[in-house]
Amino acid sequence: MLTARTVQRQLAALLPECRPAGTGDSTLEIAGQGMDAPRLISATMLEGGPLCRRLVPGAPTPGFRAFLDGTQRSEVVSYVAGVPLVLGHTAAVIRERRAGRMYTWGAPLSASRVYGPRMMLARAAWATLAAAYGDALVDTSDGDADVTSHPLALRDAAIHRVQGHREALEWRLAEAWCQREDDPLFIDGGISGSEAVAVSPATIGVVKSHRTLYAEGDALVEVLSLAHRERSSVFRVTSPKRTTVASWYLRLRDPEGHDPMWGLIRVESAHPSADAVDRIGERADEVSRWILAESSPLALPDARWDKMVYGIRDCEEFLRATR
Amino acid sequence: MSEVLGRIVATERRPNTPHEFHFWTALDSPVGIGTIVRVDARDGVNGVMPHVYGVVTEGFSWTDLASPLHDVMGFDGAPGNASLQQTQRAEIRLYTAAVLRHVPEEPLQPVPMGTVFLADEADVETALRMDAYLAEGARTGIPIGVYRAGGTDAPIYLDADFLIGPEAAHLNITGVSGLATKTSAVEWLLQSIFTHFPAQKGSVAAVCFNVKGPDLCFLDQPGEIGDADRGLYERCGVSPEPFANVQYFAPYKSDGVSLNTLRSNEALLDNVTALTWGLREVLQYAEVLLNKDDIDAKADALIDFIKENVLDKRFADPMLERPHTVTSFADLDAWFRDVLRGLEKKDDQSWRTHHVATIRKVRNRLSNISLRCKGLVADDGATSDLPFGSFQDRTVYVIDVAGLEEDAQDLIFARVVTRLREHLEKRDLGVQHVVVFVDELNKYAPADGPDTYVRKMLLDIAERGRYLGLVLFAAQQFRSQVHRRVVGNSGTALYGRMDGDELATPGYAVLSPAIKTKLATLEKGQLMVRHPHFTQPIFVRFPRPSIMRGGDGVSRYPQAATPSLHSAVLRTLRQMDPDLSLGWLQDVTILATDDEILRARNDVVRTRPGDVRKAFASHFRSAVAPRTATRSTAPAPLPAMPTDDPYGF
Repeated sequence: MLTARTVQRQLAALLPECRPAGTGDSTLEIAGQGMDAPRLISATMLEGGPLCRRLVPGAPTPGFRAFLDGTQRSEVVSYVAGVPLVLGHTAAVIRERRAGRMYTWGAPLSASRVYGPRMMLARAAWATLAAAYGDALVDTSDGDADVTSHPLALRDAAIHRVQGHREALEWRLAEAWCQREDDPLFIDGGISGSEAVAVSPATIGVVKSHRTLYAEGDALVEVLSLAHRERSSVFRVTSPKRTTVASWYLRLRDPEGHDPMWGLIRVESAHPSADAVDRIGERADEVSRWILAESSPLALPDARWDKMVYGIRDCEEFLRATR
Repeated sequence: MSEVLGRIVATERRPNTPHEFHFWTALDSPVGIGTIVRVDARDGVNGVMPHVYGVVTEGFSWTDLASPLHDVMGFDGAPGNASLQQTQRAEIRLYTAAVLRHVPEEPLQPVPMGTVFLADEADVETALRMDAYLAEGARTGIPIGVYRAGGTDAPIYLDADFLIGPEAAHLNITGVSGLATKTSAVEWLLQSIFTHFPAQKGSVAAVCFNVKGPDLCFLDQPGEIGDADRGLYERCGVSPEPFANVQYFAPYKSDGVSLNTLRSNEALLDNVTALTWGLREVLQYAEVLLNKDDIDAKADALIDFIKENVLDKRFADPMLERPHTVTSFADLDAWFRDVLRGLEKKDDQSWRTHHVATIRKVRNRLSNISLRCKGLVADDGATSDLPFGSFQDRTVYVIDVAGLEEDAQDLIFARVVTRLREHLEKRDLGVQHVVVFVDELNKYAPADGPDTYVRKMLLDIAERGRYLGLVLFAAQQFRSQVHRRVVGNSGTALYGRMDGDELATPGYAVLSPAIKTKLATLEKGQLMVRHPHFTQPIFVRFPRPSIMRGGDGVSRYPQAATPSLHSAVLRTLRQMDPDLSLGWLQDVTILATDDEILRARNDVVRTRPGDVRKAFASHFRSAVAPRTATRSTAPAPLPAMPTDDPYGF
């Protein structure tokens, strides 16, 4: 695996004009957290009537056999004429639960790449980098007409590419699961990015960030006032570039004394077929029971422990340990 | 190739060193404290792939839980809410192992990164350097037990050169009482030694002092052992049989008639010999029985005078009423009385430079010995002793001192061991090596307390014995309370279950907390072994000895009732002449006192004559045949009156 120091040394040898950036523990992901603007989107309801609160019936029941998560880590390693070159690491893993213990399912995926805007670099410099890194060199300006020379914009572009590569790894693993397994897979994040995954009954996506809320007005009040073990009505999430999925909000923990987002997650599952729309509420209750059963053990000391299940923390710990 | 057990890990905070390394294993791995492992290094050194052998000394386990409070929250404060938790937290089993051996030995480097395997039998042999003394043709291995871990079942051998000498010697065993560890382990080890002691190293015998109960009283009787123990015997190549050759020695009780041993049942008396010593034997070891206050320089001088000039010699002095030949305590007392009478007559205060007070004091102390050691010390000088000079190979000589006063025990111990040493020095004991087993070493060689003769003697054996072939196997409950030079000179040390207080003493500071915990909870039949070839202590299992246990023996062979004087004497004499009868004995001794009968018995036992009947009878006066008195028919006539009676009657 490429390390920042290695890449810096290599770049210094390849491009004498490049200037190494300071390296440290902080990554671009940490520095750039919360960049997306919050927004509200009105959603189409799949479960009868306006969006409302519903108590999940029955006791929490374990249903997931495995958990999927991916990680990414990017840092600027060098500047060539003020243009940042970013080293990005991406990885994904499925951790399968057997008799209460977590084991790696299949082979975890990982990749390290150097990201830079071809348009902003001298032809010779890019050729040198391409010769050195081959497929591991990614052009962050490729297909982006709005690329500017602002270093922060170039850096953000690199982060988005890294994110894309991380999601690609996750989809590869998830698709492999859907091909080989029938048991439910808990995916950290949405499932609509891959059609094969989005339509599979074996995949459930759980979204912890709520920069985008699929409710407005009274519906938003209903969502934010969900109590522990309550879910919202099921609605449809659609996007031009993504597959349509069914989704609902679920409160994992008692929000008393916390902010309205405390313990709040959004669940995504395959959109029901036309003849199954009537039963989408039952499916939401079943999946909610599965997710509620994952609320222990706590994912502490992760700061997102109110929304994160332990299986996902295990994936992250695995990827952190093996990076 | 065995299955991978674990992987070496090293961090800045917990680095590996040349003597210690760390590895993690699966949660269900069979590793435990005391398990021997092999590390196959990942990278070669000088073109050689290093192997490192180690023994697990500590174990750690933790989860990814950052705070116990997180678990409380995860269970909603209710420990019984197990159903809330679908996933077990990530957990680690991390072990620390102490290095047993590096292969190759040089260069000695920190334990490298690599893969960890359970040691198989060959690995155990290499790890403990047993390969050096298990080679065909030069085999000096003595099995001490079987190492068992994770399916590996490997006999562990001690090196006879380091157990019996001459490279090192002696064995010390520690453990709490009542768990059948110390005595059982020594019994088992003696069986193993007798089976495996190499022929080229000569002959070996054992002298065991039975200091309490019936522990060693039935070594020649078979005991019941289970299949598991039988398997251990088989694994170690030792036959599960009792000792073939055992000789018992016990003094008489104070009555001088019955033997002072729990092995007094008629059925077992064929190899029990009385142990009786006379004045000469005792006086040589007067120092053992007399304390420092007793033996000042003056008293010592008088005792030396007696030993040199009086004992076993005809002694005459103008002051004495008659010449004396002192061979017994009775003779000695008569001699003392004569000396003191002479001094009184002369009204003098000293005789031959010895002050009357010193003479009285020494008389008092020496006379007292025969009372304090009655049964062992014969007034008449009779001696029945161990067969010094004709010891037999692979024979156990048990001296039962369990029922004796402490003084008598000390005397027996001191004299027997000194005689063994003397004979071994002269190479005329009959065997080339003798193992002396002593229990309760705390008592005989305490770390503090008076510097007794026995302690000095034990120190001497511990420090010089290996050159002579005199080997000390000693046991005690508290090793910390035994003289450091005695335990320090023990090449091999065994530890059974230990008391927590004992483990807290500084002598155990080198052991890890986990090893101490294991020692405190050892099962019966488990030992921790330290041996010069083993760089770390090793845990082994040994079989229950195939010998009747003391308690069983006492139940099966109850003590004989105290016999009458005649019965006891007859029993002794019948060992030499089975045709003797009680009627004959009663007739012969009809006019004799008890002391005379015992003296005659002792003399016969000592001299072992060809004609026992005649020799015994010669000690007694012939009884006159009884006659019936007859009455004369007429009274005798009165004498005639004298004719010249001046008184006129």
